[in-house]
Amino acid sequence: MSTFAELLLNGISMGSVYALIALGFVVIFRATEVVNFAHASLLLAGGYVTASLHDDIGFWPALLAGIAGAALIGAAVEFLVMRRARGGDHSVLAIVTIGVDILLTTELTRRLGTDVLALGDPWGDAVLTLGPISLAHTRIAAFVAAALLITVFLLAFRYTSWGVAMRAAAESPETAALMGVRLGRVSLGAWAVAGGLAAVAALFLTVFPTPGLERATSLAAFKAFPAAILGGLDSTTGALVGGLVVGVTESLATGYQSDLAFMGRGLGDLAPYLVMVAILLVRPAGLFGTKEPARV
Amino acid sequence: MTRRNAARAAAGALAVLLAVAGCSSKAKDDDGGDNGSASAGGVKTDVGVSAKTITLGALTDMTGVYATLGKSVTQAQQLYVKQLNAAGGVCGRQVALTVRDHGYDPQKAVSGYTELAPKVLGFAQFIGSPFVAAVKQRIDGQDKVLVLPQAWAASLLGSPYIRVIGSTYDVETINAIDFLINEKGIKKGDKIGHVYFEGDYGESALAGAEYMAEKSGLTIVEQKIKPTDNDMTAQVAALKQAGVKAVVISAGPRQAASLVGVAAAGGFNVPVIGNNSAFAPQLLATQAGPALSANYWVASPSLPIGADTPQAKKLVADYRAAYPSDSLDNGVVAGWSAASVFGEALKKACADKDLTREGVDKALLTIDAFDVGFGSPQDFTDPKAPSSKESVILQPDKGVTGGMKVVRESEASSVAEGYSPGA
Amino acid sequence: MSDLLATQAKPRRVLRRPAARTCTAAAGALLLLALPFYLDRFWLQAGLFAMAAAIGAIGINLLTGATGQLSMGHAFFLAVGAYSYCVFAADGGDGLTGLGLPTWLAVVLATLVAGGAGGLFSPIAGRLRGPYLGIATIALIFIGQHVLFNARDLTGGFNGRDVPPLSLFGLTFDDRELLVANVPFGSAEKLWYAGLVLLLGGALFARGVLRGRPGRAMNAIRDHRIAAGVIGVPVARYRAAVFVLSSMYAGLAGVLLALVFQRTVPDYFGITLSLEYLAMIVIGGLGSVSGAVVGAAFVSLLPQLLTRYSDALPLVSAPGTGGIAPGEASRYLYGAAIVAVVLFLPGGLVRVAARRRFGRKPGEER
Repeated sequence: MSTFAELLLNGISMGSVYALIALGFVVIFRATEVVNFAHASLLLAGGYVTASLHDDIGFWPALLAGIAGAALIGAAVEFLVMRRARGGDHSVLAIVTIGVDILLTTELTRRLGTDVLALGDPWGDAVLTLGPISLAHTRIAAFVAAALLITVFLLAFRYTSWGVAMRAAAESPETAALMGVRLGRVSLGAWAVAGGLAAVAALFLTVFPTPGLERATSLAAFKAFPAAILGGLDSTTGALVGGLVVGVTESLATGYQSDLAFMGRGLGDLAPYLVMVAILLVRPAGLFGTKEPARV
Repeated sequence: MTRRNAARAAAGALAVLLAVAGCSSKAKDDDGGDNGSASAGGVKTDVGVSAKTITLGALTDMTGVYATLGKSVTQAQQLYVKQLNAAGGVCGRQVALTVRDHGYDPQKAVSGYTELAPKVLGFAQFIGSPFVAAVKQRIDGQDKVLVLPQAWAASLLGSPYIRVIGSTYDVETINAIDFLINEKGIKKGDKIGHVYFEGDYGESALAGAEYMAEKSGLTIVEQKIKPTDNDMTAQVAALKQAGVKAVVISAGPRQAASLVGVAAAGGFNVPVIGNNSAFAPQLLATQAGPALSANYWVASPSLPIGADTPQAKKLVADYRAAYPSDSLDNGVVAGWSAASVFGEALKKACADKDLTREGVDKALLTIDAFDVGFGSPQDFTDPKAPSSKESVILQPDKGVTGGMKVVRESEASSVAEGYSPGA
Repeated sequence: MSDLLATQAKPRRVLRRPAARTCTAAAGALLLLALPFYLDRFWLQAGLFAMAAAIGAIGINLLTGATGQLSMGHAFFLAVGAYSYCVFAADGGDGLTGLGLPTWLAVVLATLVAGGAGGLFSPIAGRLRGPYLGIATIALIFIGQHVLFNARDLTGGFNGRDVPPLSLFGLTFDDRELLVANVPFGSAEKLWYAGLVLLLGGALFARGVLRGRPGRAMNAIRDHRIAAGVIGVPVARYRAAVFVLSSMYAGLAGVLLALVFQRTVPDYFGITLSLEYLAMIVIGGLGSVSGAVVGAAFVSLLPQLLTRYSDALPLVSAPGTGGIAPGEASRYLYGAAIVAVVLFLPGGLVRVAARRRFGRKPGEER
């Protein structure tokens, strides 16, 4: 029982990090209808800036610099590439982001080389122990940060003019443009925000229990894909729920590996995708996604 | 009109083609040039050896998942070749190492092999046992070229041309568990956890662990992971639940660091021992550092780079001088050992006046106690067995070069002695 | 190469374009037929990888390029083809499941099995739109990798399994030397011709599909799914059928790759391979057979060229000397090529060649 509780709590806290990454997909998808495969490299970029600065300027300024750096890179990608390719087919745009991802990831991994960089976070390997259950402080921080950020975005989408503009742009770009929404600015903003979120996620992906930032860190984005999709690509709530579902599924599938051995061992990576496929069979637009309105 | 034109063009081209095919450089001449020719010094040679140079190949991974290992191995081998050449080379010839980086991509690895196979005398390095397996047919069949893989999977044993240096992962794991039994109080009836990578490395190690468990009356609690899993929280929770008394980890350095860190933080203080590939000195600088120094051991086929032998000290000094910014790890030892073994075989083959591929292979089969100064003597006389069944047990230590100190000298446990890999 | 020939033929192109084209095609074909007599195994193998990639890329171009369904699971179907071939053709001598069927039959069955796997996925493929489908197909990669590593009896696990050589009309495509015009023919030389036949067959069939009624229906679905339905295109049926067809192409490509590799290993069939196929069709040109072939050649030959000539290239340094390694250089170029093609050459590399050759407006040539 205590194992179950521990796995559940860990899954939830890990899931909240996935939710942050998934939120990045959602923000960009809402603003531009593009699935951003370059998110993995933004993650790595944010982590890299934080990791290489924390020794000189301290952790919190370094984290801010990391967020700003990743946001800047996100904005630059939008400004230099996506904006100019706008109007293309959505699958083509998705493939362009793959190209961008290859470029950025190659550069960052070349810089990282074979290092494992510590991020200098204040939590260290401290652990909160509640009876038989132990939970790392970093995980609690991750959960709190994710909950805060996601709440902020829920409110921002609903009440700020930026959120309204973004929803309008997603609904119908032409109409929004005619109503005076600057599409370029909306999508630039979305990319910057996604970059910032990626940097925060990178922090929690590379602190304790993981040893630090290294070249494979960006692969975590592949765990956030099912999170974003099963929640619904255009739903903030969906990103949160999707992230948690993925985190818990992964944690339980790993923890109860021995009981699931008949399906082959090492299910942790696969389980979230199986859950995703099952959900998509029933709800093709995800749990909270809006169905595509039929317009001819 | 159209048709006639096309036909004419086709006929013309065909005529040219047939005429030229005869002079294609690929066409066989009947001089028997392939069967080895004697050069001025009376030394028989065939592929990869000219009057002035001996060309060796290295298929490495410097941009993929095994980049850390590949970089150290390759640089150590380049250093060896440089020193060998400075000392006059082999058989009056300079040795050249042609390096191809496959980035752990099967297609590039196979292409690299195809490119180098007709040009080199042998391969001093080949990273990635699935790729070695992929070209095994060709190595054993038509190429008959000596390959020293930088992979220690038991499945590679058995070929007369693919020779693994040092103990394979299964043997190493047996020795690691032997250490747990002898030094850490694990006894019959206990459960031990085994966290292992999917793939050649982890599954090879698992075979060893299962064999050892059967011989010593232990129970293995398996946890299979993927190289992309970096957070071992769930694994630790499961192992704790199962009540294991010790953990063996056959994964990468990051996974080991995470596992040891999580276990220590959660007050789950069981000894953890890893395979050679489950440690990198870079980790000692991270948050997992203290936990690693306290409760983690590593089984290794050779002494660490920071060993207290004259050869190790010289290698450290030379490597530092050549690559001042790169870390000294066990990959350096592995690369150096492999290059030394190849160099030794070349020298023997030269003494036998037979620098053909077959000659080098034969020369290697006569080497039965080769010691480069890193602990265990290597015996290459039996292609079915690894060249050594010994392992050294190391412990992470920040103060030592390479981050590892020796806690148990090189030895083979009795179970490892009686174990035949791949059986 | 074809550019060169095209310029030579230019002065007469107005009057005798068909003749010039036929000549060019004939010369190109002869060149391809003659290559095994001259190139060494490395180049033939690189060419074979490119041919296999071209077959696979034609498949995904039918799906993603012509019908607008984003698929990131192409590598899965390649794996199904490659491993099915092994299962059907092997005789079970290595302790793994093998049915010992004639190898030509194994090729056909493996292609069909890959198509069947595509059909099994159609309940999902049929109902998901654009990005959802793209990400759902990533699941196939993860499922595929899991099965490849765990279903030991079928796949041989991490070590993969040997691929039985193709055998046709008494000729075995293995490494036993066969002298043709005094040139020793090993597996690469023999397979070269098999690859050419398969590629030609696949390309002609796909061209037939694209130029005919189905092609127009597929493009209609891509451009406006609902409108296509309204004008009487059975959208769901077409989408499922294209998915199956595309999977069969992938399966065939997988078989050819397996034959070239001589051993299948699970590491190959990962997400990177799927992304490479998407890159191929974008770089070459979406929705056309020639685009798929050109893109496949570009993406699969580029890293080989860079690695082989790393010593001679500026900026690129040999591995182990610091600086940009050839592996990295080819990744930079390949990433940049995707971005640059979309930004500056919409329609891909073939569109450029087509414009120069015939001065047609983009959008006409297929």
